Amino acid sequence: MNNALLIQLLGSALAVALLVGLSAWARIARPSPPLDEPRARALLAEEFPDHRVEAVWIAGDGAAVVARAGDLALVLWRKGDGYVARSAAWRDVVATSPADGRVRLAAVDGAPRLWLGERAWPPLEAAA
Amino acid sequence: MKPAFDPVQLAIPFFVIAIVLEVLLARFGKARANYEPRDAATSLMMGLGSTIAGLLTGGVVFAASLWIYEHRLFTIPMTAIWAWVVLFFAEDLTYYWFHRLSHERRFWWASHVNHHSSTHYNLTTALRQTWTGGVAGTWLLWLPLSFLGFPPAMVAIQKGISLVYQFWIHTEAVRRMPAWFEAVFNTPSHHRVHHARNPRYLDANYAGILIIWDRMFGTFIPEDDAEPCRYGIVRNLPTFNLFTNVFHEWIGIAKDLAGSRSPREAVGYLFGPPGWSPDGTRETSHTLKAKWRAREVLRETIQESAPADSHP
Repeated sequence: MNNALLIQLLGSALAVALLVGLSAWARIARPSPPLDEPRARALLAEEFPDHRVEAVWIAGDGAAVVARAGDLALVLWRKGDGYVARSAAWRDVVATSPADGRVRLAAVDGAPRLWLGERAWPPLEAAA
Repeated sequence: MKPAFDPVQLAIPFFVIAIVLEVLLARFGKARANYEPRDAATSLMMGLGSTIAGLLTGGVVFAASLWIYEHRLFTIPMTAIWAWVVLFFAEDLTYYWFHRLSHERRFWWASHVNHHSSTHYNLTTALRQTWTGGVAGTWLLWLPLSFLGFPPAMVAIQKGISLVYQFWIHTEAVRRMPAWFEAVFNTPSHHRVHHARNPRYLDANYAGILIIWDRMFGTFIPEDDAEPCRYGIVRNLPTFNLFTNVFHEWIGIAKDLAGSRSPREAVGYLFGPPGWSPDGTRETSHTLKAKWRAREVLRETIQESAPADSHP
């Protein structure tokens, strides 16, 4: 690797660091307050428009949702200032055991960790 | 190997200044832009990594271009204005088909998907470039230009100009350009549609510089202000991890190939549309759009019948 290339790469890496720092300072991410049921249902309707949501369970910190649609669990969880959506078999999702106030949904692609807080798990109201 | 005049290298300071401006204007409420720092970091690191990956494969690409050029049909002078005008259109048409192929066939989508994996649409997204494009061989599509007689350096410069042009259209800060400009050129509005994951917007607006190709080949979809673009890919990634972003679709292909039960399945997984599966249980852009159309028809039917029902 010649010196010019090395300097260019180091300069680029420095520029990347400065730009990321600037974007963090600016605080211009999308607002993503804790989810309530209307907002959770609106997100579910966007991500799973062909499914009829029967019941919704919201994580203790409002950062994730598990909804039941027949035999499926529709799962949304926060990533940065947005949400990731996946579905999995309902029975596999509710069979997951919590630990240390969290539940890790290994049956869901991406294996999200949901914070329970005061919420019961498995989501009995959603299973009803 | 790059030509002595490289538009992309020359434009890097402009890229940095433009990103700084976009962030500051958004910070002070003068323009629309959202930045999530980890997302921006992933995009910028992909840009940096792409430069390094390009160095590894650039020599092979340029050598192949030179070899083809040695067997060219015509000799096109690099100093002629007409040659640059013809190349502008020919390269842009090539870009359209490269880009369309990169979305509609999984093997090439695997190298292009990382440009779309951000759920944001800002100037850093423009720098979210492929690391595996050289390996995927999409550069082969530009070889016919050298075979026709355009010098490889000339083609490389025009490719660079196209890439620099496409930087500024990755923004929400610009709503619409003048109508005549929107009719002919690729714009932030047209390209927002291209980056959207709303079913109605999938597989549209493949243009590089000129939107006329999409209008000609039936892939143009205008931005509808009533349906704001939601950015990213159909199954958004659960992580900001750089290497997951770069390689996830290749890993997905490898897993599917390992589980395929016939050559037909293997070919389908490799060269079928993204989301193809032997039993049709996965969703492609085509099926997602078909479902969206069915929902729209149902919604319109309900809307039309509602007033009639309310009258005796």
